[in-house]
Amino acid sequence: MRGRDACDPRPSPPSHPAPSVRAVIEVMKLTKVYGRTRAVDDLSFTVRPGQVTGFLGPNGAGKSTTMRMILGLDRPTAGRATVAGRPYRDHRAPLHAVGALLDARAAHPGRTARDHLVALGQTHGIAPSRADGLLAEVGLGDVARRRVGGFSLGMAQRLGIAAALLGDPAVVVLDEPVNGLDPDGVLWIRTLLKRLAADGRTVLVSSHLMSEMAVTADHLLVVDHGRLLADTSLDALLDRERVFVRGPRPDALRALLTGCGATVDDDRGGLLVTGLGVDAIGVAAAGQGLVLHELTPHRASLEQAYMELTTTKERA
Amino acid sequence: MTGLTARGVVRAEWTKLLSLRSTWAVLGATAVLTVAFGALVGWNQARAGDAPTVAGAFLPIDLFSLVLGVFGVLLMTGEFSSGLVRATFAAVPRRLPVLWAKAVTLAAATVPVLAVTCIVALLANQAFAAGDRITLADPGVLRATAGAAAAPLAMGLVGLAIGTLVRHTALAIALFVATLLVLPAILPAALPDDTAGDVLRFVPVAASQAMYAVGPDGGPFDLLAPGQAALVLAGWVAVLLAAAGFVLRRRDA
Repeated sequence: MRGRDACDPRPSPPSHPAPSVRAVIEVMKLTKVYGRTRAVDDLSFTVRPGQVTGFLGPNGAGKSTTMRMILGLDRPTAGRATVAGRPYRDHRAPLHAVGALLDARAAHPGRTARDHLVALGQTHGIAPSRADGLLAEVGLGDVARRRVGGFSLGMAQRLGIAAALLGDPAVVVLDEPVNGLDPDGVLWIRTLLKRLAADGRTVLVSSHLMSEMAVTADHLLVVDHGRLLADTSLDALLDRERVFVRGPRPDALRALLTGCGATVDDDRGGLLVTGLGVDAIGVAAAGQGLVLHELTPHRASLEQAYMELTTTKERA
Repeated sequence: MTGLTARGVVRAEWTKLLSLRSTWAVLGATAVLTVAFGALVGWNQARAGDAPTVAGAFLPIDLFSLVLGVFGVLLMTGEFSSGLVRATFAAVPRRLPVLWAKAVTLAAATVPVLAVTCIVALLANQAFAAGDRITLADPGVLRATAGAAAAPLAMGLVGLAIGTLVRHTALAIALFVATLLVLPAILPAALPDDTAGDVLRFVPVAASQAMYAVGPDGGPFDLLAPGQAALVLAGWVAVLLAAAGFVLRRRDA
């Protein structure tokens, strides 16, 4: 499990900006072990302001645990996470620093939506009028004085988002925000996320759906089994070129290309090569006198790229 | 907009407490029942030809202690069972202020209710006296009434601490009832006769009863003096809340 295949799509090493940068989430060698499970395994990344960063991975990949550690709810086994240069716990006004939606069901069922928000805001001296404004904004104006226990999952999700925005935070962390939302709600979330990012906020959104991230995220962090598989812009992930090669001596070709650092998979009578361009493959083959019958570039779909990232890792 | 303040956390907990219907229902119903039973005991004592006693008037305080204990448990386990705790701790990441604020608001909400309940229970009980009625001006009665009002609050705080330590509602309530109410009933049989009293008078329930006793109550062992009892009970509350605070800070939410 541990041994990293040299031909894996490697995460680019995160570059740490100066800690003075406002509103940046930095995760450094973060690890969380539950019993014998490494839920989060030596994870490092940086989330920057002004764009929507998608935190993508299958269920159980460690996304929620990572988010909880960023918010100081779970204690890391090793490593650390900071927001705007300091641990979340050390912020003087945490709700203004980070707004979080970690769990749609994070309100007492016996309390009204308004009372829930008002109480959360009172910790920071936020006026009740702010709660009223937000309830209207998230579409819960009519049910503000109804008890949360009767809310649908979608309504609870909207309330959770109102709670996240309560302190007008510089950083927004949302765990699976589109869960339980109807199509209207999904569209609303997409628009909201883009607007928050356009305001210059740092937005980290988790999802297990590549299709959802494809339309909202500008940057992607792909995780599985608690480890970072990719830290890439959406465009770069799409541009990852793969090449289909076919020739009479596939084994020699495979050895040659693997030796050059490429990943080579069997594919319908030929080889699918990742990590080397068309030109490089042609030159290498010619250098060894290997005949090629076909040499075709492929552009992967986002869904393919994601599946490949997560499955390649499992085989390693 | 300002930042996070201790005052803000107390205000938030106050809003949370008062915005639940169950708070009003529980406090109201328990107050009414306590007064009713205080009166009933007085009536029964008078019927038997005895003078209604302070001890009789405050007998139903045990009911209030039990209810507030469970109420204190729910104050914290309700956060965990509903998931609210993650929102609460995201707003107050150092966590300890939440525990203190819950303790303060529990006291602020219950002390007035308890004071009124105890005074009315005494009046209702003494209404059945044939001769002279006992009043707050009689020796030790004001102190006993204050003790009767304080004891259930102490149990509420013990419940809050247990709820914080255990987090699961059913488990915490079972633990509260078992260790505070059932265990003291088993201990006398499990301990040698000459040491049983020395242990039992320091048990929270016995200490809380000593706070509102007037003179010897005729029980199997001597209760502590009221002042000592108050200190012992305060000690229990302090130790349990400190343990709760320690655990609250360290555990994953």
